[in-house]
Amino acid sequence: MAAKRFTKTEYASADELVFGESKYPLSYGLGLKVGAGAVVPEINFAPRPGAEKNPETLKREYVDYITKDVLDRAVTLGFPAVQLENEWISQMGANAERFARPIVEGQKAMMRKYHDEYGIALAIRHTIADQREGDAGLRPGMDTRHSYPEKLMESLEVAVKSGADVVSIESVGGKEIADYAVVRQDIRGWLFGIGVLGSIDMEWLWSNIVDVAKRGKVVPGGDTNCAGANTAMFMAGGYLDKDIPRTFSAITRAIAAARTLVAVECGATGPDKDCGYEGPIVKAVSGRPSSQEGKGAQDAHADLMGNLIAQTCDLWSNESVEYHPEFGGSSVQCWLGVIGYEASLMNAAKQMKADRTLRDVYVASDRFRSPEAFILAYDNAFKIGQAIAANGNDYYLRAKAAGITAAELIQESNDKGKLKLTKEEKDTLSRAVADLKSLPDEQSKFLEWALKEYKDVPAFDPRNYEL
Amino acid sequence: MDFDSIKTESFLTRYDIVVETKETPQEIAARMYPPEPALRKVAEDVVFLKAKNIQEDVQAALAEFTPNQVIDGGLLRGIDIVSELYGRGIYYLPHVMVAADAFDKGIKLAEKNIAGGRETKGSVVMHAAEGDPHDIGKNIAAVMLKSNGYRVIDLGRDVLVDDVVKTVEAERPNVVTGTALMTTTMSAFPKVADRLQEKGINIPFICAGGAVNRAYVESFPMGVYAAKAAEGPRLVAKAVEGWDWRKIRENWDQLISGGK
Repeated sequence: MAAKRFTKTEYASADELVFGESKYPLSYGLGLKVGAGAVVPEINFAPRPGAEKNPETLKREYVDYITKDVLDRAVTLGFPAVQLENEWISQMGANAERFARPIVEGQKAMMRKYHDEYGIALAIRHTIADQREGDAGLRPGMDTRHSYPEKLMESLEVAVKSGADVVSIESVGGKEIADYAVVRQDIRGWLFGIGVLGSIDMEWLWSNIVDVAKRGKVVPGGDTNCAGANTAMFMAGGYLDKDIPRTFSAITRAIAAARTLVAVECGATGPDKDCGYEGPIVKAVSGRPSSQEGKGAQDAHADLMGNLIAQTCDLWSNESVEYHPEFGGSSVQCWLGVIGYEASLMNAAKQMKADRTLRDVYVASDRFRSPEAFILAYDNAFKIGQAIAANGNDYYLRAKAAGITAAELIQESNDKGKLKLTKEEKDTLSRAVADLKSLPDEQSKFLEWALKEYKDVPAFDPRNYEL
Repeated sequence: MDFDSIKTESFLTRYDIVVETKETPQEIAARMYPPEPALRKVAEDVVFLKAKNIQEDVQAALAEFTPNQVIDGGLLRGIDIVSELYGRGIYYLPHVMVAADAFDKGIKLAEKNIAGGRETKGSVVMHAAEGDPHDIGKNIAAVMLKSNGYRVIDLGRDVLVDDVVKTVEAERPNVVTGTALMTTTMSAFPKVADRLQEKGINIPFICAGGAVNRAYVESFPMGVYAAKAAEGPRLVAKAVEGWDWRKIRENWDQLISGGK
């Protein structure tokens, strides 16, 4: 069982939520402080195709090129603090000792050198790969083909022992049902996949991650529903995209928040993962530092809340960029400049006691750009957080409450003529609310129905969730 | 802060609402239905996602028409209308997926009545790259290809280069496809291409996915880039017509923008 369930939000009011401050600030790495009064840029990167040819070529790419470029540019531009994030590629996860260990050690050694020489505050987050597959089995001993659950735990051990300051993961529990549901616009399936199955998997996974991280004195950061809610959000896309109505993706995001919170309940301390756009809701409930990405992550994708999502961040990220040359230096240098200057702006606003004004300007810019931006605006995120906490002891009920609250907030604003919706978005919203409200009031009854309804979904195996 | 009082017009234009069509799916579909009532009913079941009715209506149509007429005039016409609605942005992807479920049920019933099975337009071997667990894009593309009349051999996700090569050798498809979300898993694509060429296989290899870009795909032999799942049927149709990968590449801009 999870160590703690949130039954009330850690913040008493929405207005307390602001960038660069959290209820439970952290201090880790080489003098880095997070959520303690300043926003820190978090730079993330991907190696060029072919760099994974062997451990030496991959280490050269990650350490000698990428890490060095990042640190040089941070010093060049006068940034007082930087966090690096290394999202492990599959080769690192498949053979952690051989591929990952030299990289993790090499990055840390180089960071120490810059810290010693310049006094720059630094830390690195290692986000290990979750390659588990539902049909093969999500728990140790089940996947006889790839042993992915075992490799995940081995990756964690290697990261913790070799130099990670923070460990995170983008876990995939419930993805098989979520993928099926998202392309059918089936919100009940989504609730089952992410709200319930995802939460169950998180509870097992994060209990283990926290245990290993704490033993190694490394910060257990947090998770993200990248595999689910970001799939929905990017399919929903912008104004030229018609794959998923944006009202649907907004509701999936609220449900995902109830699931991502489980990491904290199992002992994760934050900062959660940048690509978890559910972060403002998770922060409202947990009070833990949050990493976010928006306009500074245009290297990776376009979203409809580039400014707004900076409102409550403690780390400000670029999501990820492939290492390559640009006119202004290497890609990691250019994008560090983008996020680092934004962090400087936020921190200057803090010094001038204008941070809440800047936060509100960010929100005003994008509040009505999309339903998902709207429900993540800090005042609405807080209300969704309250709905989760009010049902905090029950994974199903709290996820359902999050979804319904988000839908009702969208409806209310649309009724007032503020948040505009297309006809399809309106129809989808009505259907989703009706579907969610038609569901039983007890998790056991919902599970009984869902296990029958989704039993034939490819790759779904109830044993992965002890069901 | 009263956010509702903010006037957004100077910094936000909701183009999705500006261009929202006033035409309904019913009006567009009405112009495209087959004239025969029994076939129209089948097409309607596909267009309006009535998977529950489709078997009964296909059965009724089979009493009047040959299985191939039911497929071409009813089921595939229904999918054509769905594609039109999707192309115009009136239907969303879930409509296409649910329509494809209805189409699938109907086609299975119609095919039972064709001696030796239905002749498909061509075949495609699909996979998500070795080390890559992300396959939602491939699954969407597979549905679009199937509902456009192609046979799909879906190898799933995290597929070894060897397994792709062996399957292509055995099945001899018109096209092979690969998807990848990560820069370091897409590097399996040139390996697949090299191995296939060593075996004398020179078919178009459509590559797509989050990290994949056109320049990369065109840097190795056979590679043809696709940005979206919906482009699949258009590209595969050209391969089946006999275009080789070089000709598809040369005409790619026209093929893709011509479909918009």
